[in-house]
Amino acid sequence: MKEQSKIPTSKIERAGRFVSTGFKVGTNYLKHYTRKLVDPEIDKEDLHQENAEDIYETLSNLKGSALKVAQMLSMDRGMLPKAYSERFAMSQYSAPPLSGPLVINTFIKTLGKTPAQLFDKFEISAANAASIGQVHHAWKDGKKLAIKIQYPGVANSVRTDLRIVKPFAMRLVGMSKVDMDKYFDEIETRLLEETDYTLEFRRSVEVSDLCAYIPNLVFPKYYPELSSEKIITMDWLEGKHLKEFLEDRPSQEVRNKIGQALWDFYQFQVHQLKKVHADPHPGNFLMRNDGTVGVFDFGCIKEIPEDFYVNYFKLTEPEILKNDEERKQIYLNLEMIHPGDTPKEVAFFSQLFQKMIDLTTLPFTKKTFDFGNDAYFEEIYSYMEYISNLKEIRDSKNARGSRHSLYINRTYFGLYSLLNDLKANIITDKNRILDLTGG
Amino acid sequence: MDKQQIRDAYELYWLENGTRPISVFTFCKKLDISEPDFYNEYSSFEAIEKDIWLYYFNKTVDQIQNDETYKRYTVREKLLTFYFVWVQTLKEHRSYILLHKKSLINYGVMQPKPDVLENFRKAFYEYVRNLIKEGYSTHEIKERKYISDKYVHGFWVQALFVLRYWLTDTSEKFEMTDAAIEKAVNLSFKLIIENTLDSLVDFGKFLFTKK
Repeated sequence: MKEQSKIPTSKIERAGRFVSTGFKVGTNYLKHYTRKLVDPEIDKEDLHQENAEDIYETLSNLKGSALKVAQMLSMDRGMLPKAYSERFAMSQYSAPPLSGPLVINTFIKTLGKTPAQLFDKFEISAANAASIGQVHHAWKDGKKLAIKIQYPGVANSVRTDLRIVKPFAMRLVGMSKVDMDKYFDEIETRLLEETDYTLEFRRSVEVSDLCAYIPNLVFPKYYPELSSEKIITMDWLEGKHLKEFLEDRPSQEVRNKIGQALWDFYQFQVHQLKKVHADPHPGNFLMRNDGTVGVFDFGCIKEIPEDFYVNYFKLTEPEILKNDEERKQIYLNLEMIHPGDTPKEVAFFSQLFQKMIDLTTLPFTKKTFDFGNDAYFEEIYSYMEYISNLKEIRDSKNARGSRHSLYINRTYFGLYSLLNDLKANIITDKNRILDLTGG
Repeated sequence: MDKQQIRDAYELYWLENGTRPISVFTFCKKLDISEPDFYNEYSSFEAIEKDIWLYYFNKTVDQIQNDETYKRYTVREKLLTFYFVWVQTLKEHRSYILLHKKSLINYGVMQPKPDVLENFRKAFYEYVRNLIKEGYSTHEIKERKYISDKYVHGFWVQALFVLRYWLTDTSEKFEMTDAAIEKAVNLSFKLIIENTLDSLVDFGKFLFTKK
């Protein structure tokens, strides 16, 4: 991996990068329309491809939270034209690493010893990059370890980054400023939490202990004496990231096993723990050919408030959906409609969101579900694209949807697209989790 | 009494009083040594102050040059390590250094000559010159007519930049200084390795000869 020669830090410098992206994107549109004049057949996908590349380049140079937002955007695949999401999906894997001396310096400062003193062997060049840090291999007492090291100054730059990314995100996702403010506040809170490695360490141990009984899930052991506020040391997990894993053509049975483990993992968290690993991007899972999957990176945990939980999942119960009054109350509670809306607006948004919910919660209502069914996903994506292009949505002065739904939706979208890529056919019955917990 | 002890006592005096001793006489009295003993080691308080900065530098270099990993590093990594360890060394003396903050900060970038840093500067030049030579042989640094001689000076400005940044850094464990070092060193190496600088010079020459 080529080491990044320079990370722009000051706000002006970062802004400069975005300006040049904006400029490039503008030029791409120009090019596109010129070409279109000559050849009316030309596809818009080309344009999206070029834009995506330029924006991705800019974001990956910024690292830190900008990269995180790129990940978020790539998460909600349906909200983006295909070219954007594929390009962004790359940001989930690699960002250029920081220098060896800085790594050593971080060890000395936070653990008082050099890596050479702490480990039998330590690989000074990073194995891969996480969005706010990088991962190194090391060996101690015959065990292979993974060590996550945070970039210095990350927490400081979160706010600045988000402020700069906001207008871009608005344009990419096609959301109004009011909506964005509400959601960016939520994103900022989560991102700041992610820079807190002490918190992450505590959560990692806690959640992996609680989920340990779920079949086919593998969690690393964490080492407190080798971890600090900038460093987290855990067992190295073998396995492959989704894309490489699929290249080996694993059998349907193996893919089902992994898919089932992931589904159980998320159902258990959402319904029992009421807090969830809200970062289900492929980089956080390592899959093996025996049908097990390694899970790590608990930096992003969304705690689900009780009233939100109750309202959100009521919408999946057919009985409640039949009662119009009750339904309306739930929409109000979830901020999908507002007390000030006209009856026309209420009717319009209600049917819009209910259709969305019906679509996305379909697997919950079945005993088993085949996530390999591409038609299902096409339907979701095209419906989402339809919604995001609606004039009424774009012009809406009110934010629609609670801030909590942001990470919950993101979690489910992430999970769904993982399952879709796995083409997993799994048991989605509600009682599955109860059966597993033996209650 | 040796140099080290006098330096320590001198720093301590500053820490307790926030100012220089009134005279060598009072300082010696406090240390319970004779004036000639003092003058055998140092000719003046200025000499001590200069030597203190040289001492920070030497301590840093001693520490890194004995390190096995350091020997295997590229030139860029060596310089990074130097700064990281230097700043660590300075941290132990931060209170003393902050008492001199004003005089250290008020110098312009183009006039990098706080007197008190003079001895340190000479030693730093020497250290960096060796690094640059090593860089030539490993092709990490490009040798250029006229400009090459200025590299040393450039790194000195960089060292002063790091020092100033650290002096005003309020972040936890001075982590922003770490980031600043990383960025500053990477930028400087980008400039002296790649063609950026050559293109710039070439462009300048072009503009100049065209007229």
